[in-house]
Amino acid sequence: MDRARRIYRLMLKLYPARFREEFAEPLERQFQDDYRDAQGLRAKAWFWMSALADLAFSIPAEIAGELRHDVKYALRVYRQRKGTTLLVLVAMALAIGATTGVFSVVNALLLRSLPFRQADQLVELFLPPVNSLAGREPFQAWVRRTSYLESAAGFQVADMNLVHGQGAVRVRIAETTADFFAVLGVEPRIGRAFASDEDLPARDSVTILSDALWQQMFGGDPRVLGSVVTINGTPMTVIGVAPPGVDFPGRTALWTPTAHDPERLPKTGAFTSRHIGRLKPGVILAQASLQFENEARAVHPDDFQSNNLNRPYLYSLRDRLAGTARQASMVLLGVVGFVLLIACANVAHLLLSRITERRQELAIRGALGASRARLVQQMIAECMLLTLAAAVGGLLVAYWSAWLANSVQPSQLAAQQYTILDWRVLGFALALAAATGMLFGVLPASLIGRMQPSGDLARSRAGANTSGAPRLRTALVAMQAAFTLMLLAGSVTMGRTFLQLLGARLGFQPAQAVSLSVALTGTPHEDPKLRAQYYADALDSLRAIPGVVSAGAAEYLPLTPDLFFAAGTFRTSGTHIEQQGSINTATPGYLAAMGIPLLRGRDFTPQDRMAAIVTDGFARRFGGAALVGRRMFAPFNPKALTVVGVIPDTSYRPGGGGPLQVFVPAALGMPVNLTFVVRVRGNADAYLPVCRDAIHAVDPQVPVFSAKTMEQRLSESLSAPRFYTIAVFFFGCFALLLAIIGIYGVATVSIAQRTHEIGVRLAVGASPERLRASLLQQSLLPVVAGSLAGIAGAIGLGQLVRHLIENAEPVGVYPCALAAVVLAATAAIAIWVASKRIVRLDPNQILRAD
Amino acid sequence: MAKTNQTAVDALLPLPLAVFHMLLALTEGERHGYALKREILQRTNGKLNLASGALYGSINKMLEQGLIEESEERPDTHLDDERRRYYRITPLGRRAAQAEAVRLRQLVRLAEDSLGLSDPA
Repeated sequence: MDRARRIYRLMLKLYPARFREEFAEPLERQFQDDYRDAQGLRAKAWFWMSALADLAFSIPAEIAGELRHDVKYALRVYRQRKGTTLLVLVAMALAIGATTGVFSVVNALLLRSLPFRQADQLVELFLPPVNSLAGREPFQAWVRRTSYLESAAGFQVADMNLVHGQGAVRVRIAETTADFFAVLGVEPRIGRAFASDEDLPARDSVTILSDALWQQMFGGDPRVLGSVVTINGTPMTVIGVAPPGVDFPGRTALWTPTAHDPERLPKTGAFTSRHIGRLKPGVILAQASLQFENEARAVHPDDFQSNNLNRPYLYSLRDRLAGTARQASMVLLGVVGFVLLIACANVAHLLLSRITERRQELAIRGALGASRARLVQQMIAECMLLTLAAAVGGLLVAYWSAWLANSVQPSQLAAQQYTILDWRVLGFALALAAATGMLFGVLPASLIGRMQPSGDLARSRAGANTSGAPRLRTALVAMQAAFTLMLLAGSVTMGRTFLQLLGARLGFQPAQAVSLSVALTGTPHEDPKLRAQYYADALDSLRAIPGVVSAGAAEYLPLTPDLFFAAGTFRTSGTHIEQQGSINTATPGYLAAMGIPLLRGRDFTPQDRMAAIVTDGFARRFGGAALVGRRMFAPFNPKALTVVGVIPDTSYRPGGGGPLQVFVPAALGMPVNLTFVVRVRGNADAYLPVCRDAIHAVDPQVPVFSAKTMEQRLSESLSAPRFYTIAVFFFGCFALLLAIIGIYGVATVSIAQRTHEIGVRLAVGASPERLRASLLQQSLLPVVAGSLAGIAGAIGLGQLVRHLIENAEPVGVYPCALAAVVLAATAAIAIWVASKRIVRLDPNQILRAD
Repeated sequence: MAKTNQTAVDALLPLPLAVFHMLLALTEGERHGYALKREILQRTNGKLNLASGALYGSINKMLEQGLIEESEERPDTHLDDERRRYYRITPLGRRAAQAEAVRLRQLVRLAEDSLGLSDPA
């Protein structure tokens, strides 16, 4: 009996405060009576069920009723102070929106499900003991022997020419083992996946298209099955189409089961063999990785160095796909979280000021019998209303910012768009709003408990600070100052780093230049004897365009993403000095087209074969001797090259230094891939179509791709650092604005509360200026304290800036000092402005009102 | 004055069944919560058995709407002599009950006409 009653009493606690106060007693009593009447197990069970059902209906109804009441009351209160409420609402909406926007990025990268079956079991194998290139049987045998892998597949990625009908495009192809799709757990949308033995060398050439390619080239026609496409000159039959959203690894357009048969599709250049695997159910990644590493070392004990770059390792596939954007988005989430806290502190200020204003009203209500719980409930409802309304506005902001993130840094998986239309993101926004509402509504509400109703009624006009509100306010201001300082210091640091990137010496002239690329593998001009003619024709065609100043071509251009250099050791004749250099190929006219000046010597001529042009850094390694005219031995040719020119270092990555480079004439290297550069008069964008057409005219079967102006390339290479710098800078300024609003508000309230004291002082003869100065001093104290904490935080967390911009210097003394000065100055101005009303105070009026 | 009162009453219609029954019971005098429940159970021949939560929820709502008001606490000598809170009907509550009865009568009249039911003797 007693236990039943206690359980019931516990459940009654779910009722809202007021209802509980009124009716808990009769409810309990009734429960007791009815329980006594129910005799026997069956009756008691039935009784409990009906009691629970009753509560299940009644409790939500009562809560809803009280909520409606609280909301109406809160709306009335807010309507009376429209200005401040709107300000706080907008600030919160922006803060919640920004946080949700960044979270949607985190969600897309880290949390959302990949389009693979049980994606968390998928791993990428780095440096496996047996490579898939070793052959089908050895690889599969090894997989079977492991205790942690259920299955594994290998693949190589390459860009190749795809010809279908009259059109030719450059596409990314993944050459895989036959069970690639099986390992991922992906079923083709139409057609079939590779048969388990389809990667044997003697089998027919088949391929599976990606959904995107199918839509683009075949218009989504299901009759594509069985048709033939030509890849780098090799005909292949289409047997299936992958489901939409699947393009692993990264923008792949076609898959072919030729991983064990690298000769099938002709290609040039180095390629890396990669492997994925599926862990056996129940196996933990860390364990498996350890075993994997041990196996790899056992097979090749000498090959691996101890540094992380060359260690055999198992990565979760999800982490690999997220890449560096993962850390960056987490840091950004932290940044935006700080902004949110600053905005929430302003909400708390708002509520605090209204509590002290309404102290009289609350005291009366308390005297009339409203319990503390009831008043706290009211405060929480008011705060939640504000934050939830802000959340709705925030979702709009989030939607816009997600769109922005998409356009600046496209998601690494086509399927993983940054969107807020995902239950996790919406849930996050709601939870965020509710949590901040609770936290910052409860904080001021906790002060209500300290107010003694009767005492307050008498003393409320005197404004005695017994409630502890000023202490809470000071703490909030200090917190706002600390976070603001950290964000400002971060912004300054990133700004400086970014400016350095922008100002970095490139070594060439990006303005008024156009670049386009071709690749000859699989085209009629693939034959080395025909390449020279093709390139000559293309260059002639380009030079014939009116407005073109110069044209040339090279194998690798600066600012190309994912660039791998061929390198080798060079030796000048007559010395023992050896030097590593990266090898690049260029036609005559390349230097002029790129705007690269010649430091010494001359450019290539069409007759040059055994010649070389080197960069300044390379030349200096040879002891500064004048290299022009000297002979040099290259790693790929027994005959010596004569150095004919020296050029300045050109940077190949934003802010990065230039590699030590050696250029050889195209006539010698005869590369199969070439990028043309055309220097034009006037606006470079206008020349893109006509340059493309000019090269296309030489042979329509050769696809022309990556047609961009050099300025576009530069801009693209800087897009990520630019985005993060602007984002952090924006958040820093936003945080400063919010903090200043808070400081201003607190100063105003402080004056209002101490009106009486100020009046007395003025009457006694103190000058307004001295009072203002003393107020300034007092109000700046929490700001300074917070700033010191912020400096410590900024230096402590400063390393994280590296995740946003590569090689950024960590936050140092100078940005912190600058930020502190800015914060202190703006705070001082705000407080000084707020204190202007002291001057307008009339001491007589104040004292008389007492 | 009367007009605004009428609108206030109209806004409350139609009354939920439990509320109507409770108002009817209270027209006969003051009652406390448990007595109301018992009386309604009796009047409706066991058909309307109000569970505690629903009962006090309705009482709460009626208090808010001004249909009933609290009387002072006193022990119920018919029961176990424990102190219980009594409620009594207000003039507004009386008017609301009357209005509801009128509404129901009009409804029944309409039904009789449509369905061709004769007046019970």
